[in-house]
Order: sequence, then C-alpha cells, then structure tokens
Amino acid sequence: MEASENKRSVVVGIFVFLGIVLFVAGIFTLAGQQKRFVKSININAIFDNVAGLKIGNNVWFSGVKIGTVKKIDFYGSSQVKILMNVEEEAQKYIHKNATAQISSEGIIGNRIIVIQGGSLNLPNVESGDRIGVKKALDTDKMMEDLQANNKNLIDITGNLSVITTRMVEGKGSIGALLTDSTMAGSLRNTMAGLSSASQNINNTAVSLSNFSNKMNHKGGLVDKLLTDTAVFSQLQSSVGEIKRLSLSAATLSNDLTTAGAKLNNKDNAIGVLLNDQQTAESLKKTLLNLESSSAKLDENMEALQHNFLLKGYFKKKAKGEAKEVK
Amino acid sequence: MQKYRHYSSSMKRSGKYIVSRKIDQIFINLYDVYKFILRFFKEVLFPPYEFKEVVRQCYEIGYKSLPLITLTGFITGLVFTKQSRPSLADFGATSWLPSLVSIAIIRALAPLVTALITAGKVGSQIGAELGSMNVTEQIDAMEVSGTNPFKFLVVTRMLATTFMIPLLAVYTCIVSLIGSYINVNQNEQTSYSSFVVSALQNISFLDLFSSIIKTTLFGFTIGAVGCYQGYNSSKGTEGVGKAANSAVVVSMFLIFIEEILVVQIVNAIR
Repeated sequence: MEASENKRSVVVGIFVFLGIVLFVAGIFTLAGQQKRFVKSININAIFDNVAGLKIGNNVWFSGVKIGTVKKIDFYGSSQVKILMNVEEEAQKYIHKNATAQISSEGIIGNRIIVIQGGSLNLPNVESGDRIGVKKALDTDKMMEDLQANNKNLIDITGNLSVITTRMVEGKGSIGALLTDSTMAGSLRNTMAGLSSASQNINNTAVSLSNFSNKMNHKGGLVDKLLTDTAVFSQLQSSVGEIKRLSLSAATLSNDLTTAGAKLNNKDNAIGVLLNDQQTAESLKKTLLNLESSSAKLDENMEALQHNFLLKGYFKKKAKGEAKEVK
Repeated sequence: MQKYRHYSSSMKRSGKYIVSRKIDQIFINLYDVYKFILRFFKEVLFPPYEFKEVVRQCYEIGYKSLPLITLTGFITGLVFTKQSRPSLADFGATSWLPSLVSIAIIRALAPLVTALITAGKVGSQIGAELGSMNVTEQIDAMEVSGTNPFKFLVVTRMLATTFMIPLLAVYTCIVSLIGSYINVNQNEQTSYSSFVVSALQNISFLDLFSSIIKTTLFGFTIGAVGCYQGYNSSKGTEGVGKAANSAVVVSMFLIFIEEILVVQIVNAIR
C-alpha cells in the first residue's frame, strides 16, 4: 500500500516537474525570441502619423528585428511620440542622423518601424536620443495616383476605340490600308520591289563576299601586301625614292620659280630682252640690219666667185665633186 | 456541518418563500456556494494538511487525464490548422498559419479544451464519488470518526484540480502545437525552427500568464462545482447521477462564463 502511494507520489512529482519545465521553457523561448533578456537602449522619434502602430510592434534595421515599440504618446498639437526599445548590439549601426519610417511586414502584416542607419562619419546614437523621421508611403496618396492613372487609362481606351472604329470604317491611312484594295495592290507591288531590292542587295553582298575572299586569297596582291615582308621593304624603298624625287622636283620647281622671277626682271640680259620694249625695238632693227647686211654680203660673195683671183679655185672644186659622183 | 448541508432543505420544508420557490432556491443555492467556498479557504489555510490525499488526487485527476488530454490536444491542433488553411490560402497567407494557430491555441483553445475535457472526466468523477459517499453516509461516518470530511474530501480535490488543470493546459498547448506543426510541415514544408519562431512571434507574456490564470480558475471551478454537487447531493441513487451530471453541466457553463470575463479583463489590460 505504502509502495503504491510512493509510486503515485513519484509519478505526480514527475508530471508536475515536466509541466513546470515545459512552461518555463516556453517562457524562456518566448523571452529569447522577444529578446527580453538583451540589454537595450531607448530611442524616440516623432511622427505626424503612425498609421496604426501599436505597443510591442517590431523595430527593424536592414530587415532584422532589433527592438520593439515601447510607448506611444501624443506630442505637441497632433504629432505622436514613439519610444523604441532597441538592442544595445544594434547601437553601433545607428548613427545620429538615422531616420525612422513607418512600414509594414508585408501587405497584410503588422505595422513596424524601419530604421535607416545614417551617415557613417557621425557618432552612434545614444539612449534617449531622438532620431529623424521619414514620411511613410501614404496609401491615400497612392490611391489618388492610382485613380489618376485609371482616368488616363479610360482616356487612352476611349481614344483607342475611336481609332479602331475609324480603321474599321476605312478612314485614315491605316483604315485605307486595311480596306482599300488598290492600296493593298500598291503595297503588294512595293513589297515585291522591296523583295527584289533585297535580292539585289543579297547578290551584292555575295559579290562583295567573293571579292573579299579573293583579296584574302593566298598569293594575291592584298595577301602579299599583308604577309610578304620583301614586298613591303621594296614598297618602302620605292616610297623613299619617290620621296627623294619629289624633293628634287621641289628644288627644281623652286629654281624654275626663281629663274622665272628673274626673267620678269630687267636687271639681267634675258630679262631685258624679254621685258624691255626699247631693247626689243633695237634688237629688231639690228636683226633687220643684219638681214640686209647678209643679203648684201651674199651678193658680194657671189661677185667674188666671178672674180679672176678666185675663179680657178671654184672650177677645181666643181671638178672634184663631179669625180666623186662618178 | 450537517446543518449547513441541509440548510436549503429546511427552507423548502418551512413553506415560506420570499419571492417564489424557484427564485428563492437560486439565491439559497448561491448562498450555499458562497459558504462552501468560504469554508474551503478556511480549511485550506489551517492544519492538518492532507498532503498524501492531495498527491493521490493529483495523480487521479492530473496524471490519469493525460492520455485523454494528449489525444484531444493533438487532434485540436491538427484539425484547427487544417481547417484554417483554406481561409488563409485565399489571401496567399499560409505562412501565417503557425502564428494564427499558436495564438488560438495558447490564448483560448488549450485552456478551454483542457477545462472542458477535465470537467467531463474529473468533474463527473468527483460529483459521483462524493455523491455516492454522501448517499451511503460515508461522509457522516467520517465526521463521527473524528475526521474532517470537508478537508479530506473537498479541499484535497479542489486543490488537485486547481493545480493540475494549468499543468494539463501546458501539455495541451505543447501537444496541440506539435499537431499543428505536423500538418504545417506536411503541407508547407515549414522547418521546425521556422514554425517555432512564427508561432511565438505574436505571443506575449500576457497571453501565457492569462492562460495560466484562466486555467487555474477553471480548475478551481471544476473542483468546486464537482465537490459541491457531490457533497450536497440528495439521498438515493438518483442523487448520485444528478450530482455527476450537474457537476459537468454547471462547471462547463461556468467555464465559458469565466472565459468571457477573463478575456475582457485581459483585453482591457493589453
């Protein structure tokens, strides 16, 4: 009987112990998840509108929960002061110019506060500090924009309706294109022309391809130019020769230019001959005098041939020439 | 003691009613209950303490109810998760199932299911046991032999139910969440750690402590109603049946009333 009672007592003891252990484990798990035993600092922010934020809602930084909303109070005439309990561990990431924004955990999720860390060159935030706020996305504003978009959409669809009606009725260029058989025929001809042109382009491309193939052919001119070093050196020497020749030509041209310039001047014999009118007149007279003198000289010489002193010589010469002819 | 138990009977016999027989009877019963509970608090504070009997009752009420509670809790968690899925799936929010189910289980289902099951099993057992002892005049015999029947029979049982129901509710919570996890894991392939994190995401200490306080209250009510009905059962075998039956019905009714009151108070605090 006593053994049975002892056994019962042990069973009840184990049962109670396990129940308490489970309960305490639940409390610790919950506390661990809610970071109740983690050191924390208090930061506050003042919002115009907290959009249904409640005490206990989460505070996120870079998508990680770093604290909870501890207190919500009205501030000033219509603002709301939020006191956030943030883990001390996250303090090093939040700087003095950090901002807080009201957001939500997904579309139908709870409201949360999202903290953006601020500038790295500023000191870290401290307990009791007030951080700036960033205006949350206003759903009413979004709805207004959406409504405006809807109106635009209605206008666009209305216009589209008018356009398609006109098209069906054969009005306008596209309507005519869809309904006018003549225009369709013209379009078909144009398309045929385009097709032919594209065929020609294709043939040209093929020819160009063949030409380029020939250019790249082994032993061809281009290939030799590109690959044969002897041809290149010959070309280089030829170019050198041409360069030298062109230099000589340039010199010659310069000399000719100088000579030409001199010919235009009257400070030399040729220049005077070419440019001086008086000299030319004098020269012409001289030449006329010379012509007249030579005619007179010729007449004198003819007269000399018939002179008795020289007559024998000329007879002797004529006989010799006749003999050579024979 | 005997005078106290038959106080209402003597009123009936005298034939003098203040309002009417039925209404007077309600107030008489309320007064009886008040006296009964007041006596419990008087008896529980002063020695001698019946530790062995309390442990025995804890074993009978708590440990022996565990298989039934485990099965019920497991099915509750599993079925609740299964039934909640389509509604959340319509919003593409099945990932919220662990959170939803854990809130429902910890705040309401586990305490209620535990209380209702134990009200059915333990309440009727206490009512029938004390009722039959009353019918067979064992309670009177105990009084004659110098044993305080109220301390030995009522206080021990009420203490046992008050202590055991919260513990059973903790087990129910765990088992229900396991059932829920099995279903969620089968359908959404959610990992255990992810389930636990999601499940506890929206649970606060207030939820845990309100559940514990609630189940303590439920346990006290089940014990008090069972003991009262059995201790004050009418003579005859019919009285035993009535005591067992009313122990279940009244305690269940009171459990729901208390549930509403506690939820209102907790929500006011929250």
